[in-house]
Amino acid sequence: MARTRTLPLGLALAGICLLAAVSGGPLAQSEPIYDYLLRNGHVIDPAGGRNGRMDIAIAGDRVVRFGTGLPAQHAKQVIDLSAYYVTPGLIDLHAYVNSQAVFRDGDPRTDWRNVNPDHNALRHGVTTVVDGGSTGWRNFESFKTLVIDQSRVRVLAFLNIVGAGMLEGQGQADPADLRVDDAVQMARRHTETIVGIRSPHLRGAGREGLNRSLQAAESIKGPALVEYQEDAGFEYRELVLGRLRAGDLVTHTFGPGTPVLDADGALNDTLKLARDRGVLFDLGHGTQGFWFRLAVPAVRAGFLPDTLSTAMDKTSLLLPRADLMTTLSKFLNMGVPVEELVDRVTARPARALKRPELGTLREGGLADLAVIEIQQGQFGFLDAGLARLRGDRNMRAVMTMREGRIVWDSEGLSRPDWSQAGSYTNYR
Amino acid sequence: MKGAKLHYLGSGLSAIGLVMALAVPAARAQEPAYDLLLTGGHVIDPANEIDGVRDVAVRDGKIVRVAAGISPQAARRTVDVKGLYVVPGLVDIHSHHYGYSGALFPDDTALPAGTTTVVDAGGPGWRNFEDYQKKILRRAKTRVLTFINSVGLGMGGEESDVNDMDPRATADKILAFPDLIVGVKNAHFGGSGWVSVERAVEAGRLANKPVILDNSILSWTGRDTRTKVLEKMRPGDIHTHFYNDRHVEILDRRTDKVQPYMHEARKRGVIFDLGHGGGSFLWPVADRAMAQGFPPDTISTDLHAGSIMSTQSDMPNAMSKLLLLGMPLRETIHRATVTPARTINRLPEIGTLGEGRTADVAVLQMQEGVFSFHDALNKKRLGTRRLLNVLTVRAGEIVYDRDGLAFPNWDAPGAYGRTR
Repeated sequence: MARTRTLPLGLALAGICLLAAVSGGPLAQSEPIYDYLLRNGHVIDPAGGRNGRMDIAIAGDRVVRFGTGLPAQHAKQVIDLSAYYVTPGLIDLHAYVNSQAVFRDGDPRTDWRNVNPDHNALRHGVTTVVDGGSTGWRNFESFKTLVIDQSRVRVLAFLNIVGAGMLEGQGQADPADLRVDDAVQMARRHTETIVGIRSPHLRGAGREGLNRSLQAAESIKGPALVEYQEDAGFEYRELVLGRLRAGDLVTHTFGPGTPVLDADGALNDTLKLARDRGVLFDLGHGTQGFWFRLAVPAVRAGFLPDTLSTAMDKTSLLLPRADLMTTLSKFLNMGVPVEELVDRVTARPARALKRPELGTLREGGLADLAVIEIQQGQFGFLDAGLARLRGDRNMRAVMTMREGRIVWDSEGLSRPDWSQAGSYTNYR
Repeated sequence: MKGAKLHYLGSGLSAIGLVMALAVPAARAQEPAYDLLLTGGHVIDPANEIDGVRDVAVRDGKIVRVAAGISPQAARRTVDVKGLYVVPGLVDIHSHHYGYSGALFPDDTALPAGTTTVVDAGGPGWRNFEDYQKKILRRAKTRVLTFINSVGLGMGGEESDVNDMDPRATADKILAFPDLIVGVKNAHFGGSGWVSVERAVEAGRLANKPVILDNSILSWTGRDTRTKVLEKMRPGDIHTHFYNDRHVEILDRRTDKVQPYMHEARKRGVIFDLGHGGGSFLWPVADRAMAQGFPPDTISTDLHAGSIMSTQSDMPNAMSKLLLLGMPLRETIHRATVTPARTINRLPEIGTLGEGRTADVAVLQMQEGVFSFHDALNKKRLGTRRLLNVLTVRAGEIVYDRDGLAFPNWDAPGAYGRTR
C-alpha cells in the first residue's frame, strides 16, 4: 500500500487503468498489477515494428504494456532479460506432430514418426506449431482429440487431401481417396485449427493430386502447402509459375527436389519469378528440405525462404537436428541477421497462415513469447544430407511463455534459489 | 548462460580436419578393420577400470578394441572426440514409454541424452505386454527393457485394482519374455496395507526377478518405509524416487539425519534408485543425504512429458546434479551404467565398453560456466559444471551427433546425401 502511494500519480493511474482494462474490474491498490515484468530484453517483433531494448509487462494471459523502466513494485515477479532477445512466440509452419499415432490401437500403418508437439516445440521457443498434413478428413478428428486438444502449444494443421493423411506403408496414391468435398467439409468444421490444405505426399498422385489440393484450398480460402515430386508429370517450373496461386506454399525449398541453382551455380530464375507471383517458399527442413550445398549459394545470392520451418519428425530431430532453434542457428551461421530469422518464424508465417494475431506482441494480445540466447563458441551443424557447417554462434530458447505461463525455463530465470526458499517439502 | 565460458567441443573441432577419413578409396585392397573409431577421448569404463585417454574401435556393431593409439587407417570412419568423455551408453532403469499420456517414445528423448538402454517402469502389464511390444519395442532403436507392472493392464489400467494383481500371470509373462522383461513394477497404489507390495514381490519371487517399488507413505496407508525396506523387500529389490520425501522416509524430520533403517536396508542389499522425474528430487533432501554419504545406487530419470519440461532431468542432467552435490564424475558414470546394468542382471552384457560387447556409447562434454538445475518444487541451484551428451552410438550406428563430429563438411568434395 505504502509503496503504491509513493508512485507518481500518472504512473499509478496508468497502471490501474491498464489492470482495470485487463481484469475488467476494480482492484486493490496494494496488489501488484503485473504477474511478470520482463525487463530489458532486446525485443524483436517485426510485425509490431519493435527492435530494441524494452520491458514487457504480463498480466494473466496477456501482454499489457511495453515500456522502459516500468516499476518493479508493480510486478509479482521481475525477470531480468538483459542478456537475451525477446520475440513473439515462434511459429513452426510445418512439422509432424500427430504424436499419439505411435500409441494408437490396431493400425500398424499409423505414421509413428510424428513427434510430441509440446516438448519439441515449447523447448525451442515455438508457441504455434502447424502440422504439415499428417491427417486427412478421415482421421483428422482423432488427431484433434488425442493431440491438438491435449497440447499446451497451439497446434494448427494443414489437412491432407489424402483421406487418411500420411500413413506408414502407404504406397501409391488412390485417386478415389483424394476427395475435395470431404476435405473442405472437414476444414470448415474446424476453421479454428485447419489453416490450409496439404498436397499428396504419395507417389502417383500427379496432376490430379495437385488440382484437388488447390481446389480444396480455394474453397476454404486458405493456402495449399505443396511438395514437388519429380514423378508428378510436370516440371517444377510449371508448378511454381503456372499452377500455384499467390499465397500457396511450396516446401522443402533447399532440398534436392528443388532446382535451386542453375548448372553454373547461379540462383535459378524460376525461384525469383515465382516469388514475384506471390508464391511462398517454405524451408521444411526435415530429412528432405535443407542441403547446405544448395542453401549457402542461394542465401549468398539473396534468396531466403519466406518461412523457416522444421518439417520435424522422429528421424530428422536426431540427425540432423531439425528442431527450430537449431534450424535457425544454421542460417545464423550462414550469415543471416537475427532480425531476418525472427521475421521468418513470426510475422511471415502468421501472414501466410492468415492469422495476423499470431507472431506478434501487442498490448492486450496473448502473451506467447520466446526468450532467446545467442551463444558464442565453436559449433557444428548438420544438414539433411548429413554434411556439416561449422559455426561460432548457437541460438537456443532459454524461456518460453505460452498464454502468460512460463512453460520452459532452462536457466531458471523465473525460479527462486533453493537456499532462499526456506525449508520446503513435497508433502501436500 | 550468456557470457559464460562454454568450451564447446574443446579442441575437438580444431582436429576435425583429420577426421575426414570417410571416403574409402575404391582400389583399397583390404577392408578396413573397423567400421568406426572414436579417437582421443577420455574413456571412463568403470567395469573395466579404464579412466584415461583411449581410442575405441567398433566393428559389426560390437566394441572390438579399446586402446591407445589405434591407427585411423584401420577404420572406415574416424571421429575425433578429444576433450570429450567416452562412456558406455547410459542405462536408465526408470522411464516411461507406454500406458499413459505422459509416455515418450524412447528414441526421441533417450538417444539425444546418450541413453542407449531404457527400462520402462510399469507401462504394460501381463495383459497388454504384446501390444506394447508391437508399438514401442519393435520400433525403437534404443534398447528397451521392461519392469512389467504387477497390475494386468499396467499404467493404462487401474493401478489400485487389487483384483488385477495376479502374481502367477505376471511371472508367466516374465518367463515368456526373459530377454525383454527384467523385473516387476508396483506403483501408484491408492489403497492401504501391503497387498500391492506383497503381490509384486510374489511375482518377482516366482520369476526370480527384482521388483521396483514406489509407494505413498502417507500415514493413512498403514505403510512405513522401515517395514518396507527391512521386511517386505528382498535384497536386490529396488526402491525408486529416492530423494523424494513422500515415497520414502529417508531423513528423520527432526534431525535431518539419514534414518538408521536406510543404512540397514542398504546393507541388506536393497537398491535405492533416483527416479528423478517431475516430483522426486528435492534439493534439501538430496543435499542432506549426499552430505551424509548416502547417494542413490542407480541414477535414473523417470522421464515423461511433464518432467522433460519442468525439471528437465534426462540422464546427463540428473548426473550433473549429483556432480554438483559432490559425487565424483567416475562415480556418476558408474551409477549410470554399471550399477543399473547389474541391478537388472544385465552386466556385463550392457553398461560397459568391454571388447565383444554391443557398441553402445555416449560421448559426453563437460561444460564450464554457470548453470541452473531445477528440483521438483521449481527451486533452482546454480552449478559450474554441466554434463551434456554430444554423440550417441547405438549398436555401432551413430544415432545422434549434436555437432556433426562424424560427418564431412558441406563443401568437401564427394557424393552428397544421407550417408548413414
